[in-house]
Amino acid sequence: MKEYLLLMFSAALVNNVILGRFLGLCPAMGVTTRLDAAVGMGMATTFVMTVAALAGWTVNTFLLAPFELGYLRTITFILIIASTVQFTEMVVKKVSPSLFQLLGIYLPLITTNCAVLGIALLLVDAKMSILTSVLFAIGSAMGFSLVLVIFAGLRERLAVMDVPRLFAGPPIAFIVISLLALAFMGFSGMGAS
Amino acid sequence: MNQFADNTTDFSAPAMVEGIAQVVKIDGKTAWLVPEQGSSCGSCASAAACGSKGVGTTASRLDNRRFRIDNNANLAVGERVVFGIRDNVLLKASITAYAIPLATLLLAGSLAQWMFGSELITMAAMIAGLVIGLGISRLEASRLHSKGDLAPLFLRRARPGETCSS
Repeated sequence: MKEYLLLMFSAALVNNVILGRFLGLCPAMGVTTRLDAAVGMGMATTFVMTVAALAGWTVNTFLLAPFELGYLRTITFILIIASTVQFTEMVVKKVSPSLFQLLGIYLPLITTNCAVLGIALLLVDAKMSILTSVLFAIGSAMGFSLVLVIFAGLRERLAVMDVPRLFAGPPIAFIVISLLALAFMGFSGMGAS
Repeated sequence: MNQFADNTTDFSAPAMVEGIAQVVKIDGKTAWLVPEQGSSCGSCASAAACGSKGVGTTASRLDNRRFRIDNNANLAVGERVVFGIRDNVLLKASITAYAIPLATLLLAGSLAQWMFGSELITMAAMIAGLVIGLGISRLEASRLHSKGDLAPLFLRRARPGETCSS
């Protein structure tokens, strides 16, 4: 149990997807202007990343590895992620059209999120078991969501601040996220990485 | 969408996420609306340089998100209106749609791993957990829908030239 908790802590904070591995930077800048958008995107990414990790592990273990098709891994995983996003969209629409109206806008953006592909490939390289893979994916996605929410909160405050004209908009956002990355460096060396 | 744009904002009022939509159909006392282009990503400051800009903002996708509200304000086809969603609704919807299936997936997988210790059985249990979780989500979503918790609210007619980012 302790091992699993350390794995998730490490994936979420020590090796944070955005601030540690520098993956998924486009949504980090694009959907963090409002807190509600960041929460919606974070939750959707968590779901897709976890299901894609499960699907990726299954395809790799039962198809790519036995038939020595490792060279097709990247393209296969891209296909898996696109299918997972499409599946999620269909399911959410079927489960509740009201939920689809509220959350559907975030789903297509995940297809182009390199963090999802990066985590799926990392899991295969690390040769993790299925439960460990899923926990690692959830931990990474929680770290991703955490940074989105913190950054969105900071940007909402920046929107009402008197920022010098030259720094207004993306420049001050880049400065803030770099300070956030420095803060996350404080976790370096902690947990089981 | 920008709740800070209005200097007279009442911060003690329940927070509301605002958006702009166009009336496309009137059906008795119900108005059908399509949200205007300008998704969270499409309307961001870096939209011009972002590769994801077009995704999620095409006409067919927006039409797919058509929704209805009670037409108590005598709206006409073509009018632009500002609608609102309560701040906590998005979180509630996200938990219903995503957190419940993930929790059941994880619970089923952990139980299977602990009981059988086989990767294949764990994988099958996770898939079964996901399906069960989606079923529970569906029940919870219909409960929220029947309570009217997920419904967008009509706030006012949009001013000429008003956009969701203005």
